[in-house]
Amino acid sequence: MKNTWVLVRRYFSQEVRNSNVLFSLGLYLVGVAYLIYLLNGGSVPADKVWNTLLWIVVFFGAIQLSSRSFEFESNDYFYYYQTIAGPGATIIAKLLFNSAYIAVISTVTWGLFSVFFGNPVYNNILFGLALLLGSAGCSVVLTLTSGVAQRTQGNATLGAILALPLLLPILQLTSVLNLQAIVGVPTNEALNLLGSLGALDVGIGLLAYLLFPYLWQD
Amino acid sequence: MKGLPYKIAGLLLIIFSLTYGLWTEVPELPIIEQSIRNLFYHVSMWFAMVAMMAASFGNAIGFLSSENMARDRRSISLAETGMFFSVMGLLTGMLWAKFTWGAWWTNDPKLNGTAITMLIYLAYFVLRNSIDDPRKRARISGVYNIFAFVMMIVFIGILPRMTDSLHPGNGGNPGFNSYDLDNRLRLVFYPAVLGWILVGTWIASLRYRLRTLEE
Repeated sequence: MKNTWVLVRRYFSQEVRNSNVLFSLGLYLVGVAYLIYLLNGGSVPADKVWNTLLWIVVFFGAIQLSSRSFEFESNDYFYYYQTIAGPGATIIAKLLFNSAYIAVISTVTWGLFSVFFGNPVYNNILFGLALLLGSAGCSVVLTLTSGVAQRTQGNATLGAILALPLLLPILQLTSVLNLQAIVGVPTNEALNLLGSLGALDVGIGLLAYLLFPYLWQD
Repeated sequence: MKGLPYKIAGLLLIIFSLTYGLWTEVPELPIIEQSIRNLFYHVSMWFAMVAMMAASFGNAIGFLSSENMARDRRSISLAETGMFFSVMGLLTGMLWAKFTWGAWWTNDPKLNGTAITMLIYLAYFVLRNSIDDPRKRARISGVYNIFAFVMMIVFIGILPRMTDSLHPGNGGNPGFNSYDLDNRLRLVFYPAVLGWILVGTWIASLRYRLRTLEE
């Protein structure tokens, strides 16, 4: 557990030190949000379209993030971590870091969309919860698939190809919840769906934890 | 010939379901009418596909725990056969949908599940092709296979139950699930499922032996 926290802190400091990456991601989010605003002629999209666009922006941001997920670990670093922390601690640290990161991306995108198109969400708490759970699910899938893609040596598009079909169940479930939040379903009536999304996150997280060690051996 | 009894049994069951399925009496239901016979040809494809994918998943787990390369060859052969059944299921389903719903494709949870399943396994084949070292390929694609199968089950087995579907037996549509799958239908449907699974196993074993010879 201690190893995990050390690793998480290390990932964050790496990210802050490498501030041009952070900056480019932020620029991407603002740029795309503004592009949608421009192409849409400054008008406000319908609620469903708003939600779809939000997730597409988050999706590409998350893909971009995950494609770098194993990149800064050149091979020497990789073996160093393995011997120091072990695969179990590494995957948990990566999952925590990526979940937090994607959650930040989706919250920032929500904020940007509120600025440009207004906030159509009625039940903000439910929407936020759905975003968090959806981000966690996306991070599990993206972390595992980028680990897989990294082992094939430098095939950058492969990560996206592998992740896309696996992300769809999570994104679909999340966006059903988001639409409910937009319409204004009270949070306690959506507990059933929230619970299934949470259970899905935990389940695939556990699966990723079990499978990750097999990606390490060479 | 090895395993002759099950191959013959599979063939006989398929011939039986293909022919008897056409002349057996079927319950008369509104909208689906005679197209209910597609139960024998279309639904059995999905059962066979899930059986093949599950066997492929089992062999992927087997490979990761034993490092036995034969397990990996079985896993990919079964996944390919499952893919074949899913294409057949898709084609028979689309033909049926055109006549019953009036469109080749609709936004139905089961159809989405099919599309995702095919995408997942196509990605699996792409992944396999992009790694040269056989042992590494076996391990990495095994990891992906296990993860993908679980996501597929979530998507085709759990999510559709949370939303309405246009399919017979769902959302108030007439169907054969709970009250109408009478014995005349069962008599053809179950043999069809069993027959296709047996023949699928045969196809997969041929592909497996071909792979073994190549290596």
